[in-house]
Amino acid sequence: MKPGRILGRVCHVVATLAILFFVLFPIFWLAITAFRPEKDAFSTSPWFSPTLENFRKIIGGENDLVAATANSVTVGVATTVIAIPMALLASYAFSRYRFPGHRSMLLAMVATQFIPGVAIALPFLTLFRDLGLLDTRTALVVVNLSIVVPYITWLLKGFVDGLPLEIEEAARLDGCGQIRLLWRVVTPLAAPGIFVCAVFSFLLSWNEFLFPTFLAKENATTLPVGLITLVRPEGVAWGQMAAAGLMVMGPMLVLSLFVRKHFAQGMTMGAIK
Amino acid sequence: MTAATAEQPTRPERAQRVSAKGTRRSGRRRRRNLAVPYAHLAPALIAIVLTTVYPLVSALVTSFRHWRLNETRTPGRFVGFDQYVRAFHDGTFFNSVWVTAWFTLLSVTLSVGLGLAIALILNRRGPLTALTKALLILPFAVAPALKGFSWRFMLNPDHGVYDKMIGAVLPFTADVNWLGEPFWAQVVVVLTEVWGWAPLIALMLLGGLGSIPPEVHEAARVDGCGAWQRFRYVTWPLLRPLLLIVIFLKAVFSLKLFDQVVTITGGGPGRATETLNFYAYAQGFKFLDIGYASAISWILVVVLGVLAALYLFIMARQEAK
Repeated sequence: MKPGRILGRVCHVVATLAILFFVLFPIFWLAITAFRPEKDAFSTSPWFSPTLENFRKIIGGENDLVAATANSVTVGVATTVIAIPMALLASYAFSRYRFPGHRSMLLAMVATQFIPGVAIALPFLTLFRDLGLLDTRTALVVVNLSIVVPYITWLLKGFVDGLPLEIEEAARLDGCGQIRLLWRVVTPLAAPGIFVCAVFSFLLSWNEFLFPTFLAKENATTLPVGLITLVRPEGVAWGQMAAAGLMVMGPMLVLSLFVRKHFAQGMTMGAIK
Repeated sequence: MTAATAEQPTRPERAQRVSAKGTRRSGRRRRRNLAVPYAHLAPALIAIVLTTVYPLVSALVTSFRHWRLNETRTPGRFVGFDQYVRAFHDGTFFNSVWVTAWFTLLSVTLSVGLGLAIALILNRRGPLTALTKALLILPFAVAPALKGFSWRFMLNPDHGVYDKMIGAVLPFTADVNWLGEPFWAQVVVVLTEVWGWAPLIALMLLGGLGSIPPEVHEAARVDGCGAWQRFRYVTWPLLRPLLLIVIFLKAVFSLKLFDQVVTITGGGPGRATETLNFYAYAQGFKFLDIGYASAISWILVVVLGVLAALYLFIMARQEAK
């Protein structure tokens, strides 16, 4: 190899390692800080004896975040369970039928992603107060639907578009009704797509911060908002913050690797194929 | 569902149905067929209308009424455009407009620039690049609120690990209190955004770069084009439509920036990082002025609405190509 090429290779490897550092370092640093003794939270030494002390404080300890974690899981699961059937039915309609308003309704789904959260949270703040739903998990599930349903409908439409029509036709010829067809034929065929949508739905709901900040300050507070309780007048409890942070990001990092191929497509609502 | 079984939506038939509007089928039959797709759509549409259209309309109506939660439980008198006029005479509101605009400009430039650089570097085969591409998605999966806390931790002016690293490379920054100075606080808030978005944008662009056939590059190389010329005349024109979409998307999410402002700076120092979303939150939540907060949120709705219209227009044009 010519020296120029070797130099190019080396530069490329260095650049790639720099990218890896940029992407991974904040995650890595938070993860190891979670296991550092609290008094050493700011130590930059890579050598320390790992401890679960920080986790003990946020799980059943002085800054208990178990209730907030349970809320996050409940709200995420409920949002997903409600949103998926709606999205499946709607995406089937968009994919298989042409009807007046087809195009404008699809575009309206994209447009919902441009709505600022405050414009949704403010009216719900007073509505939920009047209904006695303020600071409940129900309230959070309702507002989460505003983001999740249009998003996963669009994502799922892409999957349903790709399903072969022949199987559905054969099922119809055998006298299969619409409900049975959707449940027994379309749902199993679209299962990979439904899985991806379920992951996105849970992830969006889990990471949501603005809605619970407005609508659930205490009883129904979720984990990302619960992080704020670790900010004390005397200073931030960084060791516990890192431990709680690991609880917030850990599951999402794992889930994101399952659906990474669909992120770009989902974010751009179909503009990039 | 009898109406449904009458329908056998195969592709040829669908085309026929569109072309045969009302002529091949009687009006009643057509209407009955339309009931099928609308029935499928109903649950999702009802949910979307209740959770987006209702609050938007409600906020619009409230923006024309005087309503302070510390005075009355229910909305007060109509004041017309008073609260919009008030916004345009409110220095703090204008501050948040400028902060939001500046954040958007900085965040779009850095995210897209860095995203493009990452994409161009990783647009090769090899085990190391494959691994890096697989991990690019991770920062985006981290909750924005947590991104804020983690960067705030790493940039702690006394002990933060990033503060120490930057101090070692650029000694003159040793005394900089990153979150205490308006300019640097703004940069930090934007950097947390860039950390999540640049890798995601790189992934989107890599999708586009992958669709450029290698023969095109090969042909250009044979014709004597250097690396820069190949980028300028081959990659760039093919990437440009994709970049436009990505810039739009990033701009929209920057305009809605909220989470990190709360978890890093709380709008400070002073009002240096108060975005529009945050200002509306502060007016509604801290000062309990729901009417004024609604007006501010609707100003943001209008700005984003214009962007949404442009975005849909661009999407439709690219679809037509």
